[in-house]
Amino acid sequence: MRAPSLDPRSKLIAAIAAAVLLMAVQHWVPLVVAGSLLGIIALLLRLGRPWLQLLKGLGFPVLSFFAIAWLAFDLVSGMVAGLRLLALGTVFFLFFQTTSPEILANGLIKMGVPYSLAFVLSASMQFVHVLVNRAGNIRDAQRSRGIPLDSGIGWLRHFPALAGPLLIQAFKLADELAEAMEARGFGAPGRRFRHEPHFRWVDWFAVGASILVLIFFFVMK
Amino acid sequence: MILRFENVSYRYPNVDFWTLRNVDLTIHPGQHVLLAGASGSGKSTLCRSAVGLIPHFHGGELTGRIFVDGLDTRSEPVYRLFSHAGLVFQNPDAQLFNRTVEAELAYGLESLGLPPAEIEARLAWVSSLTGMETYLSRTTHSLSGGEKQRVALGAILALRPRLLLLDEPFTHLDPEGAEMLRAVLRTIQKEEVAVVVAEHRLQEVVADFDRLVILCHGQAVGDGPPREVLAGDVSQYGLNLPSLVRLFRALGWPGNPLTEDEALQELKSQSLPCSALLNMGLSGSPSPVKAVHPGNRNSIVEMKNVWFDYQGSSILRGISLTLRRGECVALVGRNGAGKTTLIKHLNGLLKPKQGTVEVLGRNTLRTPVAELARHVGFAWQNPNDQLFQTTVREEVLTGPRALRAYDPAWCDHLFERFELTPLLERTPFLLSEGQKKRVSFAAALSARPELVVLDEPTAGQDESFRRELGRLISELQTEGKTVLLVTHDLEFAAEHAGRWIALAGGEIAADGPPGTLMANRAVMSRAGLRPTQRFQLFEAIKNSLESEAH
Repeated sequence: MRAPSLDPRSKLIAAIAAAVLLMAVQHWVPLVVAGSLLGIIALLLRLGRPWLQLLKGLGFPVLSFFAIAWLAFDLVSGMVAGLRLLALGTVFFLFFQTTSPEILANGLIKMGVPYSLAFVLSASMQFVHVLVNRAGNIRDAQRSRGIPLDSGIGWLRHFPALAGPLLIQAFKLADELAEAMEARGFGAPGRRFRHEPHFRWVDWFAVGASILVLIFFFVMK
Repeated sequence: MILRFENVSYRYPNVDFWTLRNVDLTIHPGQHVLLAGASGSGKSTLCRSAVGLIPHFHGGELTGRIFVDGLDTRSEPVYRLFSHAGLVFQNPDAQLFNRTVEAELAYGLESLGLPPAEIEARLAWVSSLTGMETYLSRTTHSLSGGEKQRVALGAILALRPRLLLLDEPFTHLDPEGAEMLRAVLRTIQKEEVAVVVAEHRLQEVVADFDRLVILCHGQAVGDGPPREVLAGDVSQYGLNLPSLVRLFRALGWPGNPLTEDEALQELKSQSLPCSALLNMGLSGSPSPVKAVHPGNRNSIVEMKNVWFDYQGSSILRGISLTLRRGECVALVGRNGAGKTTLIKHLNGLLKPKQGTVEVLGRNTLRTPVAELARHVGFAWQNPNDQLFQTTVREEVLTGPRALRAYDPAWCDHLFERFELTPLLERTPFLLSEGQKKRVSFAAALSARPELVVLDEPTAGQDESFRRELGRLISELQTEGKTVLLVTHDLEFAAEHAGRWIALAGGEIAADGPPGTLMANRAVMSRAGLRPTQRFQLFEAIKNSLESEAH
């Protein structure tokens, strides 16, 4: 099954509605049902493996939330806190897995967000990989001259040896990228997009359903 | 006329000196111009001025006038100029800002406001021209350095500019990547696109250009057909002269041959003694590169059947090699062959999945990196990866202090050796790239390691730096140190390394003297390498002498 070809705007509204619902629910049973539904959607979209990786990554924060809420309140509150975090994480995981940064930026621009802001939001996601690579190179370069950046206390003590070059390279990279963007017409009037988002009936349906579910939930509550 | 500089001078904001000084330059459609000069001569600044980034993006003080395709760069914003003149920057990482290759190629076309059908047509054209059809949907961060450079070039070519400028485009390319770029430039030459390439390494490209402009301290000091310009006294401009030109000058012979055929013609027409030339050897000097006898048991590194996997693929596949005391070895091969992975095994940054690596008898699996770092010094390609101290002195001394191997007399010697003494109290971040490189070399040697690994030491460096580096390698060998060069610069490797190890697909394709490797066409092809011009000339002469003898 391919990722649904919903407009990013309708997906964003649906994701926000789902997040509001998940925040408002105070019982663990509907959260388990919601989490299961979201898991099934992830599997249907063939996102099972990355979803499992997300769950693995969320493991520690979920357990922390669970433990803090349990100790501060009771067991049910702990379960609700942990399950809510898992479900919220899955909602935004599904949103970002099915919406590329460029498409999201185009959708935001259609919603009236200034181009420069929308583009910076999408472009900044690219830099994470570049900076992770550079951090790896810096760590190797410093370890090669005997600075113990392996792990633990040595890592904390010698943190400036990693953070200093990384910060300077990040600033330099930002400057160079801004120049490269300028040289390819960033900010030119009359920009047209290769993939223009189009709102179709399925998008109106998704937005309508999201709003109806929200209204129904709060009226019933 | 596509580009015209009229008495242009420029200085960056908050800088006292002028980076460009009274430059007059006219470039016509279809001309291919090679812009040469030492580091800091103003090549990159000239390129930025030609596309309007100077003064619009950088600010500063610009005098004189620059016209691109008839448009005055001072009065026209960059977004009106970029479809007329496109600039490919030096660092591929710093010019890719979209998630996928196709989004990157389409970005400038979207800026132009082209209809989607035209965008698709141009994407198809440019991906075919640059050989990117197979990875259009890949994410840009997953590409190799050479592939990134290709995408950066494609993103500019898609705009179909009438003037294409490339700032040191060969720096990050392996020989195959360089050949691909040369082929693309030859193709667009037929379409009347003017091309300006700023480059240190003339030997890679000079024969492809019909004009050579030399910059020195911001002034155009030479301009004309390459042979005519090189016939003058250009020694003071810090150029990496083509290797055959250097060879002829070393022998005191007239002529400036750019290709092997031209050199042969000169030899025949002037009845020059071929034997003198052959005596020079591949090292280019009458005293040959120091070779260590294979039987020498004084080995410092032993790798036995080393395998290493990353993300499910085998990056190193059964590597076995020995590095001996006092030799200079070049590790060569195309991008992605496993060179960086291999050298990271030498100080334990990476551990073999299978097999053993022993450095001075210490198994790297059981020895901490900090201990191995006392014996193996690294100078990485990007010196900015290590700079974090407030002064040059502290930067160099950080390693030996961390390793408890600080020898004040030796470090003072290194400060003198690398001309760092006047810079010791300066912050390393504000040094030039060449000075930063010298700091990283001093830091690599500061703990007196037995093995020194130099990662792409000549990339982006001018002739004076290369000469200095050659002397350093020779000195280190004399002191009994082992030097491992990781490089695409085969001319430099042939001059200074007595042994080459060619990697291909994570395996050692060949290990031996450079002449033997270059004579083996199958090995060179497998490793994605091309014999040096000097080697090809020697082979042509030997063949010619043999046929005469018969």
